[in-house]
Amino acid sequence: MATDVSRRDFVKAALLAPLLPSLLAACRRADRGPVVNFFNWSNYIGKDTLPNFTKETGIAVRYDLFADEEEMFAKLRAGAAGYDLIVVGDYLIPRFRALNMIDPVPPGVLKNQGNLAPGFRHPPYDPDEATVPYLWGTTGIAYNRKTLKTKPTSWWDLWDPKYKDRLSMLDNVRDCVALAMQLLNIPQTTSDPADFKKVRDLLVRQKPLVKMYSSTSYLNSLVAGEIDLAMTWSGDLFQAAKDNPDLDYCLPKEGTYMWVDCLALMRGSRHRENALRLIDYLLEPQVAADNANYVRYASPNAKAWPLADPVLRRDPRVYPPPKRMAELKMHHVLDPEQTELWNQTWADVKVA
Amino acid sequence: MKTLDRGLSWLLAGRRSAASHLLLSPAAAWLIVFLVLPALGLVALSLARNGAYGTVVWSLNLDNYQRAVDPRYVPVLLRTLAFAGATTALCLVLGYPLAYFLSFRAGRFRGALIIALMVPFWTSALVAFYSWMVILGKEGLLNTALLRFGFISAPLGILYTPFSVLLGLVYFYLPFTVLPLYGSLEKIPRSYVEAAYDLGAGRWTAFLKVTLPLSLPGVIAGALLTFIPCLGDFLTAELLGGPRYYLLGNLISNQFLMAQDWPFGAALTTLLLAGMIGGLWAYRRWEPDA
Amino acid sequence: MKKGRGLALYCAGLYAFLYIPLAVMTVFSFNNAHRNVVWLGFTLKWYARLWKDADLMNAMLTSVELAAAAAAIAAVLGVLASYALTRHKNFHGREGYAALLDAPLMIPEVALGVGLLSFLVRAGFELNFGALACAHALICLPYSVGAARARLKSIGGERLEEAAMDLGASEWAAFVKVTLPLLAPAIVSGSLLAFTVSFEDFVTSFFLAGIGIVTLPIKIYAMMKFGVTPEINALSVVLLAATFILLGLNAWLAVRTGEATRL
Repeated sequence: MATDVSRRDFVKAALLAPLLPSLLAACRRADRGPVVNFFNWSNYIGKDTLPNFTKETGIAVRYDLFADEEEMFAKLRAGAAGYDLIVVGDYLIPRFRALNMIDPVPPGVLKNQGNLAPGFRHPPYDPDEATVPYLWGTTGIAYNRKTLKTKPTSWWDLWDPKYKDRLSMLDNVRDCVALAMQLLNIPQTTSDPADFKKVRDLLVRQKPLVKMYSSTSYLNSLVAGEIDLAMTWSGDLFQAAKDNPDLDYCLPKEGTYMWVDCLALMRGSRHRENALRLIDYLLEPQVAADNANYVRYASPNAKAWPLADPVLRRDPRVYPPPKRMAELKMHHVLDPEQTELWNQTWADVKVA
Repeated sequence: MKTLDRGLSWLLAGRRSAASHLLLSPAAAWLIVFLVLPALGLVALSLARNGAYGTVVWSLNLDNYQRAVDPRYVPVLLRTLAFAGATTALCLVLGYPLAYFLSFRAGRFRGALIIALMVPFWTSALVAFYSWMVILGKEGLLNTALLRFGFISAPLGILYTPFSVLLGLVYFYLPFTVLPLYGSLEKIPRSYVEAAYDLGAGRWTAFLKVTLPLSLPGVIAGALLTFIPCLGDFLTAELLGGPRYYLLGNLISNQFLMAQDWPFGAALTTLLLAGMIGGLWAYRRWEPDA
Repeated sequence: MKKGRGLALYCAGLYAFLYIPLAVMTVFSFNNAHRNVVWLGFTLKWYARLWKDADLMNAMLTSVELAAAAAAIAAVLGVLASYALTRHKNFHGREGYAALLDAPLMIPEVALGVGLLSFLVRAGFELNFGALACAHALICLPYSVGAARARLKSIGGERLEEAAMDLGASEWAAFVKVTLPLLAPAIVSGSLLAFTVSFEDFVTSFFLAGIGIVTLPIKIYAMMKFGVTPEINALSVVLLAATFILLGLNAWLAVRTGEATRL
């Protein structure tokens, strides 16, 4: 009798075992009210911005991070369903639109769209305003004032053998290939394989000096003093400088690029209304100002400027003066063939 | 109820081979859907062409394979072979004495020692490598200790070198080598070794003439079980190798996640799979009780 | 005679090499310092922080669910397959099946990851929890098959089953009344191994985890990438403890049933 019971229990347990996880899952994923799924760069939103949004609207934000937009693109291509709102760099917008991965923001539904500065309305990379500018910044050189005897002024400092193993490069095709092209005086519109060979050679030549290719964790190394020099994005460095005041940022004399990251609606999104509410919320002057104050990038939101931290507002490294502003270049929009050449060149550099 | 009982009994009795195939069919279906078809899909993909923005244009061409032997990638392939070979050799040399000890000397601790050997293997590689990073880093445990005791005056660059990659690979694959070695040593009848002693052979002679030759199948199995997975390893180089020691696994993963060139990534993976199947075939041939 | 002292010492050294990283991690998980190297006193705060971190707890739960689902699938498939492989004598293709069942052990993880990724995407599957669980079941399968096969071979139950059948029981009744109870420990131990394999898996999940599916290893990877905190040490120790418990259970089962399961 006893064995009978235990056997029956065993069979029952065996039958129930596969059900258990789904049961658990059902409990956990049970309806918890409205949500929006948001996919964003790391270090790219104010600490309280999303909790405040949830407090105000009751919409929960499921927030995921990426550290490389090509990897983000690959993941979205592979399993696109799920996100409602993503942050896309200016140069990626035509690619996302060509592949029908994003839907344009319907005109007239955002009540705060008018807060954007005129310079960020109908930009060349997105003339019909399918996306909404979020933040913008520049690519430059981060350095440690204390450990570096001479202040870097040129991009070529990143090729200086005396900084071997003390420098890092962004792990980002767009920034690194564009930099090499700029230094080699090659136009971004090139499709000539010989040009890309030169780009590759230049970047491979730098490799023995590079301690790491990273878009995130190098900031820890900068703060800790493990590296002294890094190719960086403006705001990321200013955030790191909160932990180590010796860190400074320079826009190299050869000039550099500015970029605009935009909020885009994923196609197939199940929470379109909520995503639009989040966009509108992020465009509110006070929210945009608080957000920019925290992440230390420049805001395209003109109504937010008067509310932003005056120190940041006056900092020429964050908001360059008009003369420097005019010198900043934007990335070109690449066709598919060029995109492939860029990506392949960068992948080749990484494994060289 | 009666028919159900009869049907199930027919299945279990296995007097007809159809019953055997039916019992095996769920597992086989799983392997086909989630292993064989993806592998065939990769082969098909490897013959395709990369289209606009990383879309796939189906075609039949071998360009991707030609690219795999481009001078750009040959160093990566050679580096991978070198690391896999060195790891296998090191694992065999380091692991053989351990397997021998487990089989011939460990006595009643044998079971516990074998489990102890497997615990690190069961631990997430991520976790172990993270710990190695903490130990080997510029401001890591090892450097701090060496500095404090005055053995060195400046921190050594140990992390992100070929040495750290090799260390990670050996750390991770050692159990893969030791367990087959142990298995084949266990199969050697102890009477053979004793007979050698009786015939006047010394310990070394007995080992070299009897034990070692009889354990060769285990050596081969262990070598293959280490070498082949090593070829596709990408986590070790990613975490312990820094920017300069990327291996085939990283090249493949970069094609999918960074370069958006799935056909080329598929071609590289197909080459890797061909290596695996060759190895598996060799393993089946050499396996002691095949 | 002290022969083999050197060999024993050597082996102790090798074990030390295998356990150093685990020990270091465990020690530092109690270290009251942000940076790892200096010991600044004992604390449990990293564990407390783990406990309070909702994202981490979610990742933990996801990993548990995933591993349970994968192990359950693998157990069912594995028992059926190993029964046919051990009990059925004459059918074509046995070798082929056996080789196929071992294949997930040999295939380089990166090949499996990218292969499944491109296949599932092309075949139009959504990369959801179910797809990931199916993939994990695949990598678990060799372990559940291995455990069940070893047990079926060693209990040599034909005679018991035959005895039952001589007493008038059908094959099915004999299976349920005799074989299954004897097999149960192996099913449990195979499932524990399978659970561990899935729970620790990073590479397959890395390629296949769709949107919003964050397993514990993926979470650790992200923490490593986005900035190192001592919480990772604590988390790793929790994972390690889980592994120890599962393997301990497994060993205990093996001892109780008088056999060691294969790898």
